[in-house]
Amino acid sequence: METNLRDALSGLTVLEIGDQSGDYTALLLAGLGADVIKIEPSDGSPSRQIGPYASGQPDPEQSLFFWRYNLNKRSLALDLDSPSATPVLDRLAAKADIVLLSGEFSTVDRGLARVRQLAAANPRLIVCTLTPFGLTGPHRHLKMTDLTQMAMGGIMAVCGYDPAADGKWDTPPIAPAMWHSYHIAGEYASVAILAAINFRDLTGTGQFIDVSIHEAVNTCTEIAIPTYIYNGLVVKRQTARHAAIDVTLFRLSVSQDGADVLAIVSPFEREEIAFKQLADQSGIPHILGTPEYAQLEKDDRRAALTYRNDLIEQVVASMPADEVFHRAQPLGLAWSPIRRPEENLANEHFAARGSFTTINHPEIGRDLSYPQTVATNGRQPHMRYARRAPHLGEHTAEILTSLGLDSSMLAAPSER
Amino acid sequence: MPDQSSKTSALDGVRIIDLTWLQVGPQATRLLASFGAEVIRIEWRKRAAVDFLRYMEPFAPDHATPDGGRSQGAARGRGVRGDFDRGAYYNNTNPGKYGVTLNLNHPKGRELLKRMVRDANAICENFSPGQMEKWGLGHDELSKVNPRIIYLRTTGFGKAGTYNNYVSYGPTAQAFSGLTFLSGLPAPHPPAGWGYSYLDHSPGYFGAILLMTALHRQRQTGLGAYIDMTQTETGLMLTGTSLLEHQITGQPTARYGNRMPYLDWAPHGAYRCLGDDNWIAISVQSDEQWHSLVDEIGSPVWATDSRYATAAARKADQDELDRNLTAFTATQERYALMDRLQSRGIPAGVVQKSSDRFDRDPQLKERGYFVDLPHSTIGTWPVEGFPAKLSASPADVGGRTGRAAPKLGEDNDFVYRDIFGLTSDELAQLREEDVI
Repeated sequence: METNLRDALSGLTVLEIGDQSGDYTALLLAGLGADVIKIEPSDGSPSRQIGPYASGQPDPEQSLFFWRYNLNKRSLALDLDSPSATPVLDRLAAKADIVLLSGEFSTVDRGLARVRQLAAANPRLIVCTLTPFGLTGPHRHLKMTDLTQMAMGGIMAVCGYDPAADGKWDTPPIAPAMWHSYHIAGEYASVAILAAINFRDLTGTGQFIDVSIHEAVNTCTEIAIPTYIYNGLVVKRQTARHAAIDVTLFRLSVSQDGADVLAIVSPFEREEIAFKQLADQSGIPHILGTPEYAQLEKDDRRAALTYRNDLIEQVVASMPADEVFHRAQPLGLAWSPIRRPEENLANEHFAARGSFTTINHPEIGRDLSYPQTVATNGRQPHMRYARRAPHLGEHTAEILTSLGLDSSMLAAPSER
Repeated sequence: MPDQSSKTSALDGVRIIDLTWLQVGPQATRLLASFGAEVIRIEWRKRAAVDFLRYMEPFAPDHATPDGGRSQGAARGRGVRGDFDRGAYYNNTNPGKYGVTLNLNHPKGRELLKRMVRDANAICENFSPGQMEKWGLGHDELSKVNPRIIYLRTTGFGKAGTYNNYVSYGPTAQAFSGLTFLSGLPAPHPPAGWGYSYLDHSPGYFGAILLMTALHRQRQTGLGAYIDMTQTETGLMLTGTSLLEHQITGQPTARYGNRMPYLDWAPHGAYRCLGDDNWIAISVQSDEQWHSLVDEIGSPVWATDSRYATAAARKADQDELDRNLTAFTATQERYALMDRLQSRGIPAGVVQKSSDRFDRDPQLKERGYFVDLPHSTIGTWPVEGFPAKLSASPADVGGRTGRAAPKLGEDNDFVYRDIFGLTSDELAQLREEDVI
């Protein structure tokens, strides 16, 4: 019995048109087997202009951003404003399932006029726009970047560092790096597109989807909004832990080999017991589990917590980070060293799960590892990336041929 | 006659058995409920088993009543020990779901669960790895009961792999995957990390993506699926270009605060404004935007210096650039400044606090982002909406129940009697035996 979702979307064709904000949405659909055709202007998609670059120098064929977010896709170089684009787009859209339009409102709005005609000719077509604020509302024209989306959407206000000794913040709010407004919006866009696919399974009809990056970021701040709505209180950012109404008692622990370690004992009895076991293993003398500690907890809860936090620091400091991790975890403590991303590349657990895929890059004459999945069926990853990001226009000829068009029709006259 | 399709929800006819708790699992089923799936949330009333979010801050104000709610005003609630129906975050996380109690430590409870799974499309859980197998309710057992079943489990590290008994909260997975490290000012500052469990949110979105993919296939082919989904792998997917950059350069990943090392964008950061801890984010993407910014701030001598004429030059000493710019922004009201910068085509956005987003943000208001929904104990409160408009099958966070979260066991009668056909006598017996 097949329990893996590999290629579960293999019957679907996605036309991707737009800027860097939409790359990730189509990447997710491509990982589940959809045929994603990225329609790029003849000078290349804007996301080819984002570094870092494999060559160290700006080069549209060496952008690591483009490589990361365009696996499994095919590239069709097509200037949508040129007259020769019309028959190509008409034929593509007649067979396509999904059109994804991303970018600034004005650009997407202009493109949408054209796409509405395509949707009229193909009522099964699902059209998804992804814009900074959505297609309606007073902010729809605002010019945004990932940073300003993270600001307006509320994530920045809850990320950062502890206030200074006077209770005032002397460090700015922080936008966690690596394009998360596009990640969050892309995940929601995928959810919405798949809802539309399920709806089409029932009714046979497509529809229009208007995704707002701003709203997507807004959904993703946990207790910040409920705490304000219900309690009228604003949670405050603090170093490497949850924003909270008050600045909480907690420090980063440092292991014997100098790594920061996230080591917290949550208010569950099972974790308190587990930590006592770990403290015992470490050989550090302590009073956890004794009547003396019980009395301290009764008399002065904050002092008891401080004692325990100090002990956590001592336990962590007594071992290398890796040992802390592999001793704490089997006891049921959800602890982890704060690792650099690259420490995962050779990790035994991820290797066993097939979390990474290896892709050859002729551009640099070597293989690169990419993360490829969020889940397995116990044997194989559900998502699969086997093809590197396309070169600009790499698949133009094959796509035109498959549409019954002259494969050289889009080439410059001198190249025909 | 009204258009028939406008009455159809995307997930009409889909039934989800929802054993999830905390945030990561319930986030996924929340999205399914928004698209019309019948989500039956199963909980148990013993304190050691009940969803922690039911008794975790923030609480609804103690004065909130069933016919009131937000209209009665906000206040910090203390919660009432033993009352599991006043959790505010729980209410925001679980709208549109039915709520039943079921004791899975009781053999009859496990039998009843199997009966429900027989007539369901999917089951979701995020217990510690192996708990369902201990109950004899793992995927192998349940797929014997219903070969078409879609089984979604979400854990930190997964059931498969070498760390298959390891445990994780959101922050654990963030630390392990590298997301905590990537957030913050450059060393020697420590990582700032995330002020919340990002990896309780995103794996929830992925849970919905994989469930809906599996439901689409189930409709077409009758196949089920087994999804062993992890927070840590989700974290890997979100590490951007850092893994590739490391492989190319061999250098350890570094943090760069709010700056943008991958484009010729400067200034790029958060700048202090008038008021208490008020900030604005500004991203200058081009020399043209830079010159507009210089005009807007009154062309001070420092800004017209030729060394700021190009992006490369501006990036060369961003510390000083930021200090100079801050001297201006610190005298400015943040929203007025944002409006002025935007009117000149410069990307700028206020670093909005939760109060700004809820009380002030005109865009969220215009789009109807917050949705009022009733709860049977604490009354009517706004919950966070779905961030996209669908023209034919719109998301409705109130789902099939038209309600925010269920009270513990609120729908026992409806679910067990009306959906699964148990008789009143059977229900009374199960209650008597502490099964439901």
